[in-house]
Amino acid sequence: MEVKLEKSFPIAAPAAAAWRLLSDIKSMAECMPGAQITEQVDATHYNGQVNVKLGPASAAFKGTLELQSVDAAKREIHILGKGTDAKGGSAASMDLRAAIRDAGDGRCELAGTSTVTVSGKLASFAGRMMAQVSDQILQQFGANFAQRAQALADGAGAAPAAGMAAPPRELNAFALLWGVIVAFIKGLFGRKNPTAR
Amino acid sequence: MATTAERVEREAKLEGVGCARKRKEDPRFIQGKGNYVDDLKLPGTVFGVVVRSPYAHARIKSINKDKALKLPGVLAVLTANDLKPLKLHWMPTLAGDVQAVLADEKVCFQYQEVAMVIAENRYIAADGADLVEVEYEELPAVVDPHKALEPNAPVIRDDIKDKKEAGQGPRRHHNHIFTWEVGDKAGTDKVFQSAEVTVKQAMVNPRVHPCPLETCGCVASFDKVRGELTVYMTSQAPHVIRTVVSLLSGLPESKIRVVSPDIGGGFGNKVGVYPGYVCAIVASIVLGRPVKWIETRIENLATTAFARDYHLVGELAADKNGRIKALRVNVIADHGAFNSHAQPTKWPAGLFSICTGSYDIPVAHVKVDGVYTNKAPGGVAYRCSFRVTEAVHLIERMIDVLAQKLNVDKAEIRMRNFIKREQFPYTSALGWQYDSGDYHTALKKVLDAVNYPALRKEQEEKRKRGELMGIGLCTFTEIVGAGPTKACDILGIGMFDSAEIRVHPTGSVIARMGTITQGQGHATTYAQIIASELGLPSENIQIEEGDTSTAPYGLGTYGSRSTPVGGAATAMAARKIRDKARKIAAHLLEVPEGDLEWDIDRFKVKGVPGQEKTMKEIAWAAYNNVPEGMEMGLEAVDYYDPPNFTYPFGAYLAVVDIDRYTGETKVRRFYALDDCGTRINPMIIEGQIHGGLTEAFAVAMGQKLEFDEGGNLLSNSLMDYFVPTAAETPKWELDHTVTKSPHHPIGAKGVAESPHVGGIPCLNNAVVDAFAHLGVTDMEMPHTAYSVWKTIHKLGLDKR
Repeated sequence: MEVKLEKSFPIAAPAAAAWRLLSDIKSMAECMPGAQITEQVDATHYNGQVNVKLGPASAAFKGTLELQSVDAAKREIHILGKGTDAKGGSAASMDLRAAIRDAGDGRCELAGTSTVTVSGKLASFAGRMMAQVSDQILQQFGANFAQRAQALADGAGAAPAAGMAAPPRELNAFALLWGVIVAFIKGLFGRKNPTAR
Repeated sequence: MATTAERVEREAKLEGVGCARKRKEDPRFIQGKGNYVDDLKLPGTVFGVVVRSPYAHARIKSINKDKALKLPGVLAVLTANDLKPLKLHWMPTLAGDVQAVLADEKVCFQYQEVAMVIAENRYIAADGADLVEVEYEELPAVVDPHKALEPNAPVIRDDIKDKKEAGQGPRRHHNHIFTWEVGDKAGTDKVFQSAEVTVKQAMVNPRVHPCPLETCGCVASFDKVRGELTVYMTSQAPHVIRTVVSLLSGLPESKIRVVSPDIGGGFGNKVGVYPGYVCAIVASIVLGRPVKWIETRIENLATTAFARDYHLVGELAADKNGRIKALRVNVIADHGAFNSHAQPTKWPAGLFSICTGSYDIPVAHVKVDGVYTNKAPGGVAYRCSFRVTEAVHLIERMIDVLAQKLNVDKAEIRMRNFIKREQFPYTSALGWQYDSGDYHTALKKVLDAVNYPALRKEQEEKRKRGELMGIGLCTFTEIVGAGPTKACDILGIGMFDSAEIRVHPTGSVIARMGTITQGQGHATTYAQIIASELGLPSENIQIEEGDTSTAPYGLGTYGSRSTPVGGAATAMAARKIRDKARKIAAHLLEVPEGDLEWDIDRFKVKGVPGQEKTMKEIAWAAYNNVPEGMEMGLEAVDYYDPPNFTYPFGAYLAVVDIDRYTGETKVRRFYALDDCGTRINPMIIEGQIHGGLTEAFAVAMGQKLEFDEGGNLLSNSLMDYFVPTAAETPKWELDHTVTKSPHHPIGAKGVAESPHVGGIPCLNNAVVDAFAHLGVTDMEMPHTAYSVWKTIHKLGLDKR
């Protein structure tokens, strides 16, 4: 099961700061809700995991992240992430191309295209919600990214600004679900749902 | 002389053939006193849970069971490597192929069995299964059988990729299983070349699942001291399972006991031998403890025995008057990852060649190609006799397409092509000998009952107003009761069936059969056959089935074979008893046998009123006063090899109303006339027809096992897989005619599958008929509102 998504997020920070965050794989990955880089294998390979919690059930996806290409001049990055749930029941992969576009005025935009593929139980059970769930995950990713980039620009340092919430340790599926429902209802009227195929 | 009233009363007391007696099973079931496999609680039972593949196609790089084994309460983890020394990691299938019991190096369908965790209880086993770490390398999957045959398609079966055949004749591609052809190809092609009219239509019978209420499961219990194995399991064929287990395990058949207790519906799902059974048996032999394995609903829908997945192209050649001259059919049959198709050995497409239907078609040719895909293995008859549903769907759609092309009424074209009553026994172009039928009378009765001309008139008026109304017809012929042993066998065992009847001194009876009820009501109906044959009340006739240690060998219950084969054996065994009873009666009355006549429940001396012996009296005498030289006792066994199949038929009509904006389809009326020959218990027949029609409604309107391109099953729970309840189910109107089978001892034919086989095409034809005036000749099932709406939308009918 495959879903393609295209999204962009306005960021209240200069392009250079946003690019610094985007090209720092570890920090960037942690903008993804529930995600963590656990180890850097070499210059382009990382090991990581994503924790998902849905009520009493939790699943941990372990996997690899591979940096396919980085273009500092164009501020573009291409990443391939693959993971399987530790219990072996599901697998997911994401092919992400993201770029920072300067919007002038000390502002910029994060634009990305991603293809999410899932198989196993996740595809069987969450299939009908795949598009919406992926959309929500990216939405949260965008929000976290914008916040961090802004903090980075404000603080001009690597440490997150004081008082800024750390990215959630687990992907909170209930909050996510709410987001999905809201998006679904909006979609009913706005017809702007991402298309699944 | 006995008065008529007195005789009627005596006959009524027997509750024999023709009586709508209440089901003897029901008091137990409706009080929750049934005894299903999962109800068994043998001391010391442990539980097996299967670890399954999340991928449809992947190589297994490693399996690590350390963590699972460390979990307290886990006793063992079985993998292919553990089964290898026993040569049980693969098992032979009924179709001449092999199937992985536990995945050996690679998995070929999602949810394929990879390991089984055995633990002290089911919860620990499930937790343990989560701890088994399997490392996979995902491979490209193929789920479409047409794509599977492309030159560059992924190789699904590495184990046989270089083999030229897979148990059913030559293969021509790495994913090809067999080609099966029947009929006169040259003769058929010739007719098509010069025909006045030809029509061609592609259609699909999507992959569905019988989804019985109770899933599959077993309790295997090996007694190490005695060396005896008992397996309680959900099987529609316990005797065959015993033979298979003996052949696989090397245990003598006499030390194996297979018991099918109460079964909560089978519909074909419980014919096969599944890896879960094998693993439980091995685990029990290894551990010396009873091992229970019960499928979850997901496992049931995802792995054991799908049905259909036939991709058909039908062609008819006819003259200008719609008289059919030839039929040509090509089928791509998707059998999944292993060919564990449930079939009589010589029939890789089952009885699909019944596809000439109720029509007198001079020449025909059928070709079926079996294909491997990355989907669950099997292919069973879902409430039908070995691919008869697909066959009926094909011919009933084709005759509608022909009617549309010629602009002839769909009832009229059927009347023009029916085999006539005087043509029976009729030999079809594809080689079947139809035993009896009266198709014209059946259809006429239905058309009159519903006032067909008025319905067509209403439809015409509605069409003018842009409303969608469809009238579907299906005039089907089934072929059931496999079967004559010269044509049908399973693993070399002829498809006879058996009955053993014992009459006790007081005139009560115990009878055991080789068949096994799964809800059909055998305890009720077999007793009625015996009651009529022996003149003993059915109330005191006990029926037992399903225990291989007590019942005579039989091939089981599927394909509507219980009445045609088991019921025949029952009547024949009873007649052997009655023959002996006649001799005893003659002895007791001191007259020659020839002077006696049978009268309902007694032998009478012809012309001498009052000189008579009832069966009850004869039963007593059988144990103390028999003619010199005769053995004591009153019992008989019969192994019945049917001379032919039986050919039940029917005429169904459905009326549907479709909302042109939402696609919502309402079944306004469904009129079903069935002819199953002699009617043993009209109430049970009606119940069977209600059930079969409801399952037909399920398939036509909602059921489908849906896969994505990666082979992930998207409808693996009852949230996505449609099972109709009383709320959705339409009202069924039933009718019947009686055309007895000339070769069956009591003239009966099978019935329980007819409504499914005939109901699906009928509903399908009704939906398509709603769009027929717009040139639509096929719509793919199931006809959900969304699916129907897509046709509406394409035609632009939903514009306001």
